[in-house]
Amino acid sequence: KMEYKLRKAEPKDVSDILRLVKELAKYEEMESQVTLTEKDLLEDGFGETPFYHCIIAETPGENSSDEPSVVGFAMYYFTYDPWVGKQLYLEEFYVMDKCRGLGIGSGILRHLSDLAMKTRCTGMMFVVAENNEPSVQFYKRRGAEDLSQEEGWRLFRFDKDSLVKMATPAEE
Amino acid sequence: MDFSIRAANVEDCKDIARMIRELAEYEKVADQVKVTQKDLEQDGFSKNPFFHGIVAEVPEQHRTKEGHTKIGYALYFYSYSSCAGRSIYMEDLYVMPEFRGKGIGKALMSKVAQLGLAAGCNQLNFTVLDWNKSSVDFYLSQGCVDVTDKIGYHCMRCEGEALEHLAQP
Repeated sequence: KMEYKLRKAEPKDVSDILRLVKELAKYEEMESQVTLTEKDLLEDGFGETPFYHCIIAETPGENSSDEPSVVGFAMYYFTYDPWVGKQLYLEEFYVMDKCRGLGIGSGILRHLSDLAMKTRCTGMMFVVAENNEPSVQFYKRRGAEDLSQEEGWRLFRFDKDSLVKMATPAEE
Repeated sequence: MDFSIRAANVEDCKDIARMIRELAEYEKVADQVKVTQKDLEQDGFSKNPFFHGIVAEVPEQHRTKEGHTKIGYALYFYSYSSCAGRSIYMEDLYVMPEFRGKGIGKALMSKVAQLGLAAGCNQLNFTVLDWNKSSVDFYLSQGCVDVTDKIGYHCMRCEGEALEHLAQP
């Protein structure tokens, strides 16, 4: 059984985080959409008001003198549902291909669920692409509800250009 | 009609709680509202807020027959996208029925967009119920994309027993 350790991400981890973000985007066939840089990750996650939190999964190096390898991560933040209160929102969750099936993913989810309960969140939320069968099954097996399917919730988005247009006051 | 938009303060929680309930009734799920006025005060207005709010107000002469001048609101918080970085999420947007069609909803959303841009955000996300045609049409007319339709993203939640079970060692 593979030994691994979960820990809070530190500023030094941003290059590994970006590497894993890009690997996950490649898996989801959205690699070209990642415009984030290490600098963004550093400012946005480790500044005065973090926009996200991150936990890292690492495995020991080949020899005892080797650096451990970062093989998985989860990026999350806290959100609010005015009906039921605080939620833990799981934005990204990824374990490298070569390390799958070894309990690391489950370990990360367990850690986050525990954190959600300790911080008095009533739920943990995330999105999954409907054609990502392995992930959909992974989550449904663990009791996740599909709010889009069951209640008809659709995620809408304004990109930067539309945002700028909307922020401009209408002509009198 | 004259109206103003401003940041919500702790005294607005009574009206916000009222309008949250009204919005839930409109979405046909009023019995699902568990958050109280006190929760809103603690969760939105203490040192580490979990959400922010803006309120739309009309002058006294336009108050409702129950005497309300706070007639619309939006709740939002900051989030993060591994593709686009800083994001703003609009959790609720509501205008009381008798004040609709006067540009108040648009003004509330515009304010959220302004606040998001000021904080360096690159996108604004929110969810809409698929049967809520007037809202869906309104948002699409403002230039947004239906991400569920386009990329097939489904919103998922683990709660209650499922969450407790997941947290077990």
